[in-house]
Formats: sequence, C-alpha cells, structure tokens
Amino acid sequence: MKKVLLSSVVLAALIFSGCSSKDPSIDATKDTSNQGAQASTSGETVSTGIDGGDSNEMSMSGLESKLQSVFFEFDKYALTDDMQSKVVGNADMVKGDSHGYVVKVEGNCDEWGSDEYNYALGLKRADTVKASLINQGINAERITMVSYGESNPVCNEKNKECWAKNRRVDFKLLP
Amino acid sequence: MRFFIWLWCFTFSLLGSDATIEVIKKTDALPLLAVENATSGLNDAVGARFARMLVSDMNVLSIFNVEQETLHVNYNDEPARENRNKDYVLRFVLTQADGTYVTEIKFYEKNHLVLQKRYSISQQDLMIFVAHSIAYDVNERMGEAPVEWMKRKVVFARLTANNLSEIVISDFTLTYQNAVVKGGHNVFPQWGNKDQDVIYYTSLSGVRPTLYRLDTKTGVKRKMLDSDGMMVCSDVSDDGERLLLTMAPGGQPDIFLYQVRSGKYRQLTFYSGIDVGGQFLGDDAIVFISNRLGYPNVFTKKIDSKSVDQLVYYGKSNVACSVHGDYIVYKSRETSNAFSANTFNLHLISTKTDFIRRLTATGVNEFPRFSNDGMAVLFIKNYLNQSSIGVIRLAQNKNYLFPLKVGKIQSLDW
Repeated sequence: MKKVLLSSVVLAALIFSGCSSKDPSIDATKDTSNQGAQASTSGETVSTGIDGGDSNEMSMSGLESKLQSVFFEFDKYALTDDMQSKVVGNADMVKGDSHGYVVKVEGNCDEWGSDEYNYALGLKRADTVKASLINQGINAERITMVSYGESNPVCNEKNKECWAKNRRVDFKLLP
Repeated sequence: MRFFIWLWCFTFSLLGSDATIEVIKKTDALPLLAVENATSGLNDAVGARFARMLVSDMNVLSIFNVEQETLHVNYNDEPARENRNKDYVLRFVLTQADGTYVTEIKFYEKNHLVLQKRYSISQQDLMIFVAHSIAYDVNERMGEAPVEWMKRKVVFARLTANNLSEIVISDFTLTYQNAVVKGGHNVFPQWGNKDQDVIYYTSLSGVRPTLYRLDTKTGVKRKMLDSDGMMVCSDVSDDGERLLLTMAPGGQPDIFLYQVRSGKYRQLTFYSGIDVGGQFLGDDAIVFISNRLGYPNVFTKKIDSKSVDQLVYYGKSNVACSVHGDYIVYKSRETSNAFSANTFNLHLISTKTDFIRRLTATGVNEFPRFSNDGMAVLFIKNYLNQSSIGVIRLAQNKNYLFPLKVGKIQSLDW
C-alpha cells in the first residue's frame, strides 16, 4: 500500500527564520557600542602632536623591547628563582625609564587546550607576575592584566622547546 | 524459567536506555539507501554538490548504509534500475525561479513512494540547511528519535593568526560559514537566546577583556561589561535572562551570575585558585570547573548556597564539561607530559550509575556541548594540525568529523 505524504513547504520564513537573511557582518575594529566608547583596539594610539606622538611611540616601543618575558613550567603558575630575577629586572625598568606608562601583563599558555581553564591558567601566571611587581614597589594601579590562553603563541612547532616558549608572560607598555 | 527470561530482557532494556553503555556497531544490519539526483535545469556542479550534502547527512542519521555514488535520473521516473534492490531511495531535484531555490524530494521504501516534500529558500549558500531539513524529515518518517539539533546553527571563534580571531556562524558540518565579527581578537561566543539571533562574545582587543552583545538581525553591537584579566560568558539560561560569567576583578578567576535586564551581578564562587566554565544545572544550581582539590575537576553548587560538591570522581585533569539531565560529558587529560604530545579525550558519565564511557580516542578533544535533547555531543577536535567540529551520536555510538579548511577553532556553542 503506497502511502504518499505530499506537503508543500515554504521554509524561508519558518524553518530558516534565523537564516532568512544572511547574518549581518560587523567589523570589530570599529566600536558601535551604544554605551559609549570602550578603550580603542590594540594598535591604535592617540597622540597630541605629530612630533611628540611619534617620539612617545618610539620611546615606548624601545622601552617595551627591553622588558623580558617570563617563562613557566608545564601546567604551573609559580615563578622559579631565575624567572623571579627576571621580574625584578623588569620591575627596575618599570620604576625607572618606564615610570610614566601603564604595564600590561599578558599571560599565555601552550597549545594544550583552548577552554576557559587554559585561559585561567594564563591569568594566574599574569597574576603571579603582578604580585611580584607589586612586591618590588610598583603601584598596583599601574598594572593591568589579560590572558590570551593558547591564542598568542610565539612558536608554532610541535616540540617541547616550542611549547616551553609559549608558557610565558609578556610585558607591554600603555600610555 | 519464564521469570528469568523476563528478568534478562528487563535488564537489557535498562542498559539500553543508559547512554553510558556502549552500543555495539550494527553496520551490516543497516538498510541500504541510495541518493538520486534529478536536477537538470541548473549548473551540474550545484546538483552534484547538493547530492554530496545529502549523502553526508544521510550518513550522519546513522540508520542507513548509504551508497556513495549518486545516479542522475528523471524526477518522475520510477527508481533507477540499479537502485531497485535498495531498501530506500531518496531522489531530489533542484530548480530556481525568481530568486528562489526550490528543492523537491521523493523518498521510496522498497520502490514505493512514502514521502514527498517541497522546500524553498532564497539564498543558495543556505542550501545545506535544506539538506539538514530533508534529513530531519526522512529520520522522522523512519520513526527514529528526533534530530532537531541538525537544523540548529553553530557559532564558533576562528583563530586566523596570533591575537586575531573572528566570530563565525555555521551549520554543524561547516559547509555554511558566515563571519559576523571580523577584525581584532574575539573569543568564546555564546548564543544569547533560543532563536539564535543574539551572540555574546569576548573581545581581547582592548586594554581589558570586554563582553559584547551582538544582535545578528540588526548587526548592532553593545558593550556589556569588562574585567581585568578575564571575561567569558560561559552559559546563558534557557530564558536568556541570566548569564554565567567568568571574571577576575582581583586577579582570581571566579564565577558570577549576571542579570541581563538589570545589569546587576553577584559572585557565586570564592576560591582563591581557579573557578571557571559555569553552566546552569536547572534553575537553582551550577556546574563548574575548579582546581580546589589541587587539580582541575568538575564541581556543582546551589546558586544560593556556599556548599560545593565534587561531581566527577574519575580522572585527574578534567578541564571542561557539558551537562544534560543526569549525564555529564567532560574533557579529561589522558597524559600529563611537558615533553611530548598530550591526549585529551571526552568521557560520558551518569550521576545515577558508575559507568564511564570514553567517547574519543586520539588528539585533543575539547569544548563538549550537549544537544538540546541530550542525544548528541558537539565538540572541537584538534589532531595533526587539523581543527574540526565533531558530532557524537550517543545512542548510535558514531562520531563524525567536519574539518575547518582555514584557521583553528578556539571555542563554540550550539
């Protein structure tokens, strides 16, 4: 017995209500916030004058390049003695030539996971470094933190040396 | 004697309803199905591509042995001679008129027409969703458990370079992809409502991690709030009114409950280590990941109580999970080695039994997400430099992988 179910279905407005028009695309580098502007995206700088702005940027970039990254053991966020001495060296620079800048402490992890826990591990590394900077006399108000988890590797090869390079905290200067 | 036979049958029926019990593959016993392409008025490549979509979707249904070759036929003829020995034939024809793409299907059982249906859609790049709807209807005609999840959209973050990632809406096979947030460093997207037209995501482009709300119908983006160190929307309540956030105002990642209407929030966890990945468990409890025992594991607590209970007792590094009813699927590290590749697998447990079922075998498997009906799990698989979306069909004991061609999947929601 042939049973034929015949139905003519117009789906555009029903099943694909969420897809009936292509989802609009936005450019995240342009802030369309209704609640006022959040901090500008990375890479943008605001200068008060052409000469002064360029000079500040050069100076900040030059100082930043002297701040050394701090590395961590696998799945750990405690500072080893040699890494602690690096933080002390960086703290001296932050108190000296870089005293006019905010310090952004960036936590990073190796490639073993993109879940929240890995980001939290990166944050705990950044927080350990922040605590050490404060112990060296840096005002906590001058320090901001972020974790990039596994999304900001400096090395993409699949070996232990590369993974070790990615388990790190970087230092950036902000005006 | 009759009693023991009855007891044996009853015991197996109980086991069969437990998703932690592994189902033995029955590939040889599945009925044969062939897909026939009757498209003639459009470019051959369009019809051939749609045929591949249908073959893939029929495979994912896991109820057929699907013939990989697709015959070209006339729509109104009987099933092709080569296919008359098949148990089932699915025939389709594509036409286009006035900017509308129309798909008609005939579904034959033992050469008898049992289902005929017509679908129309306005955009060709959404054809994969027509294939998913056809699969849904065929599955329903076969009397199988619903596969509503096939028609849902996936949102994921795609890493394209260091500190550069975009938010992409796709189907579960990644055939359809539309980047809705481009530029900058955007991670952890989360659907904000059941209609899937609101997305919460984190921008790491500014000084502080910031949560944004994007209305995909209008394209309007709104800043919600920010936090030093970390800001992630981990889950949205069923009614879209409450969010579980991970924030770190004092450098300690903890879980917060955020009220969407009022903008008010309160802290739910207070551990000095790591508390992340909160997910609603009913209306009054959450499940989350914490390292409060010295290693990451899955815990639960009532929203209005300070008491915390351990939920998973297997594995020493369980760093992500998804919950549906009594079932928990979690990511567990199988190896803990700084000097060689590590394996992370997904495991399924029930809070009602002691069974543990391993769902994956190789690579880094993470970000498990139950479907709404709990019958499937979506996850990210990274293996040999290839990033894929995986679908696990729990009752059928089958896994399917859909690789991403460019970039790496950071996180997803279903």
